[in-house]
Amino acid sequence: MGEFLRRIRYLLNRRRLDAELQNDMEFHREMAERAGNKNFGNTLRLREQAYEAWGWTWFDRLIQDLRYGIRMLAKSPTYTAIITLTLALGIGANTAIFSLINAVMLRSLPVRDPQQLIVAQWSALHDGKFLSARFGDCSSGPHGATSVTGCTLPYPFFQQIQQQKNLFSSVAAFAGAVTLNVSGNGAATIAQGEIVSGNFFETMGLRPALGRLLDAEDDKPGAPAAAVLTYAYWQRAFGSSPSVVGRTLRLNNVAVTIVGVAEPDFTRLTPGKAIDVWVPINQGAALQQQWVTTTDSNLWWLVVVARLQPGVSRQQAQSQLNTLFLNASVNEANPVWTAKDSPHLVLLPAQQGLTGIRDLYGKPLKLLMAAVVLVLFIACANVTGLTLARSAAREREMAVRLAIGAGRRRVIRQLLTESLLLSFLGAALGAGLAWVGATALAAVFSSSNSWRPLQIDLHLDLRVLFFTLGTALFTGVAFGLAPAFRGSRANVTAQLKGNTTSAASGRGRGRRISLGNGLVLLQVAISTVVIAGAGLLLRTIDKLHSIDPGFNTHNLILFDIDPQLAGYKDEQLPILYSKIQTRIAALPGVAEVSYSSVAMLSGGVATGAMNLEGHADKSPFPMQILFVGPNFFTTMKIPLLEGRLLTEADGKGPNRAVVNRAFVQKFLSGRSPIGLHLGQGDSKPDTEIVGVVGDTRYGNLRSGNDPIAFFPMGPSRANFEVRTVLPPATLMAAVRSTVGSIDANVPVTHLRTQMDSIEMLLFSELLLARLFGLFGALSLLLACIGLYGLLSYEVECRTREIGIRTALGAQRSRIWSMVVQQGLVLVLIGTLAGGGAAFGVTRLLTSLLYDVRPTDPLTFGLTGGLLLLIGVLACSVPARRASRVDPIAALRCE
Amino acid sequence: MPMKDRVDPLSPAGALPMLILRVLQSEPLHGYAIAQRIHLLSSEVLAVEEGFLYPTLQKLLRKGWVEAEWGISETNRKVRFYRLTPQGKTQLKHELSSYGRMTQAIQEILRTA
Repeated sequence: MGEFLRRIRYLLNRRRLDAELQNDMEFHREMAERAGNKNFGNTLRLREQAYEAWGWTWFDRLIQDLRYGIRMLAKSPTYTAIITLTLALGIGANTAIFSLINAVMLRSLPVRDPQQLIVAQWSALHDGKFLSARFGDCSSGPHGATSVTGCTLPYPFFQQIQQQKNLFSSVAAFAGAVTLNVSGNGAATIAQGEIVSGNFFETMGLRPALGRLLDAEDDKPGAPAAAVLTYAYWQRAFGSSPSVVGRTLRLNNVAVTIVGVAEPDFTRLTPGKAIDVWVPINQGAALQQQWVTTTDSNLWWLVVVARLQPGVSRQQAQSQLNTLFLNASVNEANPVWTAKDSPHLVLLPAQQGLTGIRDLYGKPLKLLMAAVVLVLFIACANVTGLTLARSAAREREMAVRLAIGAGRRRVIRQLLTESLLLSFLGAALGAGLAWVGATALAAVFSSSNSWRPLQIDLHLDLRVLFFTLGTALFTGVAFGLAPAFRGSRANVTAQLKGNTTSAASGRGRGRRISLGNGLVLLQVAISTVVIAGAGLLLRTIDKLHSIDPGFNTHNLILFDIDPQLAGYKDEQLPILYSKIQTRIAALPGVAEVSYSSVAMLSGGVATGAMNLEGHADKSPFPMQILFVGPNFFTTMKIPLLEGRLLTEADGKGPNRAVVNRAFVQKFLSGRSPIGLHLGQGDSKPDTEIVGVVGDTRYGNLRSGNDPIAFFPMGPSRANFEVRTVLPPATLMAAVRSTVGSIDANVPVTHLRTQMDSIEMLLFSELLLARLFGLFGALSLLLACIGLYGLLSYEVECRTREIGIRTALGAQRSRIWSMVVQQGLVLVLIGTLAGGGAAFGVTRLLTSLLYDVRPTDPLTFGLTGGLLLLIGVLACSVPARRASRVDPIAALRCE
Repeated sequence: MPMKDRVDPLSPAGALPMLILRVLQSEPLHGYAIAQRIHLLSSEVLAVEEGFLYPTLQKLLRKGWVEAEWGISETNRKVRFYRLTPQGKTQLKHELSSYGRMTQAIQEILRTA
């Protein structure tokens, strides 16, 4: 340690200490001469040796290389600018996507000791006889999986887990997000709330930013209503005002007191969820959330997270809890499963079990990462080509260096330093671009999912920083290595003799050109792959758009209202809806109005377990259901195939239902269902089927036509459908104000057209296609620059030859085609190679495509054509320059 | 000439650090005086080249075994004197003992083999 400090001190005082040494040696020389000894060594060399003894030579050389490198780069600003920009785009794109991946998939839970947290997840072969609420916290299994999983549990079981103090040091639960009507802070707005157990914040180990957080006292029945705000919501809705603690707010018409604001880093456990406010479980029922119950074992709605006791392993806790779980769900008086459904409970690390948006965005993000890595490779290949061309121009300089004694390693180090300088410059610029890009992307993600708000927390993580630095390092070495090696192999004799052409036409040339060719080939091939991917995605979107969903999607306005949040009772709802229906239908330009419990093609479905009279399978089967108001089928233009539609009377009298054709095909093999009875769950089938309607898509466009049963609308929140004869956009304001004039307390949410809704459904495909297209265009641009650079350099080198040819009578067009041919051959081979690679690679996209094969010939054909066209354009500029070479000037400058 | 850390301690070149430390044990000296003293004490057998002396002195400075201070020479000129530090004294003891062990071992072989 002392030695290191001495070395540092030497470094800082170098000049003075060197002067002192010189003084010493001068003195020594004087004394030696006096004694008659004249052979004192070379002072300068001695001083160098003395300096070397301190071990700072490497540092000196680094500084030298850096200063020289900066000077060289400053001398050619265009070259530096092009390369820095290219690298900035490549590194910036990678950093942007990586920071998204970091936020969504890698970042650990923003709580104390996240690795100790576990979450409980159950699975079974079939759905159990209970109602489960899902909020997208954990994956519900892949589409069509043979088992059902979920992470919501009933409150009584949560209490049982809490009692296992030997296994867990603390157990908490949460559920959400729930939509809350917020009033008391300006105009009525909607906020997302999460219902949590009293010890939630304590289990997470969090601290408040203001006031205090919820504790177990707040969760006792009868405790004063308390709520905690998230930091972002506090900033957004309350302007970070410190007076917010103690204020009263009305959530769904229930007064609560704000007791504090959470710390800025913690917003939610599940990735992607947007939460604004927390309330304790015992307040939940007061907020009119009917499924919030602390007594019913058949309502499974809480996600349970817990901290293991030190010394207890996850497997231990899991097997004990599983026994309890089986007791509670199979072996007791009202079992929700039978033993042959093989239900069991597992405990997963919370980081792993709470997947949230990871399920939805995991794959697209990984594909995006692959795409940007490809772009980075292209950028590197491009820059390598440009640097190679440049290093050929610096051959003279390298030859001189080698001649006066620099080792090959020294020259390589110098050139690598320049490359690293460029790549770190590019990385610095790229980091700025990445910040802008990633924030924009995160905002796009958040705004699109308006029926389930999404939030991606971007953080300037150390991980992202290391990633950027690592990428810059890797890039610098990758594109700097080849030119460095090539530059250090300069033909010294030939260069110093001044005979540049003979040096150029030496052995080095062949190798240089084929490396440049190879790089352009690589770039073209990669561009082909990315553009082919973009093309496939675009065709998928086209196909998705052209699906007939079974109802008329044009000229349809949709909106949601939830009057129960504003205090409406069940009996008041039909009157309200009917009034809204009548008033909107009276607007000019409106043809029909109707309402339903869920809007079609908005990403949500309602399902229920039904049993069918006379059906072979006596146990209830799950299927899609929809509650509709009068006039629904007419408004949506769903054709009636048999029997009759539901009328207003059906809502009041004995239960009636309408089914679609897919239902008839699936459960009755085409027999008429009119007169048969359906029943909910296990209860007696008492709902008569009165009609059959055409098939429609329900939740999303991709799944085929599933069986649906339509029932008359009961008291619940509603989605209105307004069929217009004028363009829908012109009537949206009128619709909103009509509802407002009936009751200003009922906010109209998600006012949109049906087409908007479908666009939102296709959001991830659209986004991915756009991004692939962007990267495709980017990589094509880079490949063009690379091709242009290569050919320009070629023409430069062969100026003399072209001059001779022209002088001997070659036509301009002949020269032009000579150059273009050379470039076109490269593009052709590159496109074919890329097409071949794409055949294999596009298979990765299969899950995102719809009705388009990964090897779709039309897409590949168009991609090839596009590349050839662009290739010709890129070649034509240097070709033109070549054809214009003045033979006299070319032959003279030698 | 690259400075290696561990040279053969039996050769005069490798023993130079030890010799310098030993010479400085009695009093601080400037560079020329160190060379002179080694020359004289070895009955003019060993002549220290400047190319060796000064780099070695720098190495000793780096290791903290000697430190430099300003003084006036016998010719009334300002020059740096090198002085042994406590760590240097310890190092000298180590070097002397290991050198002694090695010479003893070699002598035994030469005597009895």
